[in-house]
Amino acid sequence: MSTQTRRKPAYGHLFWWFMFANGGGLTALLLPAHILVQGIFGPLGVVRVVDQHYDTWINVLGNPLVKLYILALIALSFFHFAHRLRYLLVDFGVHAAKSIPAQVIFYGGAVAVTLVTIFLLLTVAPISLG
Amino acid sequence: MPSGWWLRKRHYFLYVVREFTALPMALWLLWLLWDIKSAGAGASGFQPPRGIGFVAFSAVCLAFAMYHSYTFLKLAGVIIHLKVFDKPVPPGVIVFTMFGLWAVASIVIMALLIGLGR
Repeated sequence: MSTQTRRKPAYGHLFWWFMFANGGGLTALLLPAHILVQGIFGPLGVVRVVDQHYDTWINVLGNPLVKLYILALIALSFFHFAHRLRYLLVDFGVHAAKSIPAQVIFYGGAVAVTLVTIFLLLTVAPISLG
Repeated sequence: MPSGWWLRKRHYFLYVVREFTALPMALWLLWLLWDIKSAGAGASGFQPPRGIGFVAFSAVCLAFAMYHSYTFLKLAGVIIHLKVFDKPVPPGVIVFTMFGLWAVASIVIMALLIGLGR
């Protein structure tokens, strides 16, 4: 009889690493441009920016592709942030950050932000293809 | 591990800075959610993001976001293994492509955010 045991794939681990890696990549590629334009150029009045006026902002937020884009950007980023900050605490000697309650808090926080994002995207501006 | 381990070597310090970038970026994205929520207040209640305090906050977040982008995309050469015609793609080419992708994505996003404004 074979003594080898068939190891079950760690799907949970795979899922969190997928979210972590893709969140990190998406944030790296997309976020600096948003911060530069919406956080600095727009408020300083250097250029016209979509979220500086109600009508342009609400119009853009109604676009279903924009809704999906914002959801992907925020949701994946927060799963990445949750993983990084939890392990940063572990590196600082906070061993409780390895515990199940800590995982629930960090990843649950990412889930909560995702749900809030979905709620806001569905309620703030009606879906419009115009 | 001693409490000040991350201050002992530059490499450790930069590692901690890299991991810490998550916090300011998370705060800025929470602000973006607030910006989206404020549109729900209607034309009369909408308050566009302005003020030097917000600009300073964004500038700090931008510095951390740039550092995250630089470190994360630079790692692509180590993480991503690709083969083209059965030959491995050199890590330098992968990193160069990722930075090129970052430049293109940034230009597209900036063009849309500015082009759709008035």
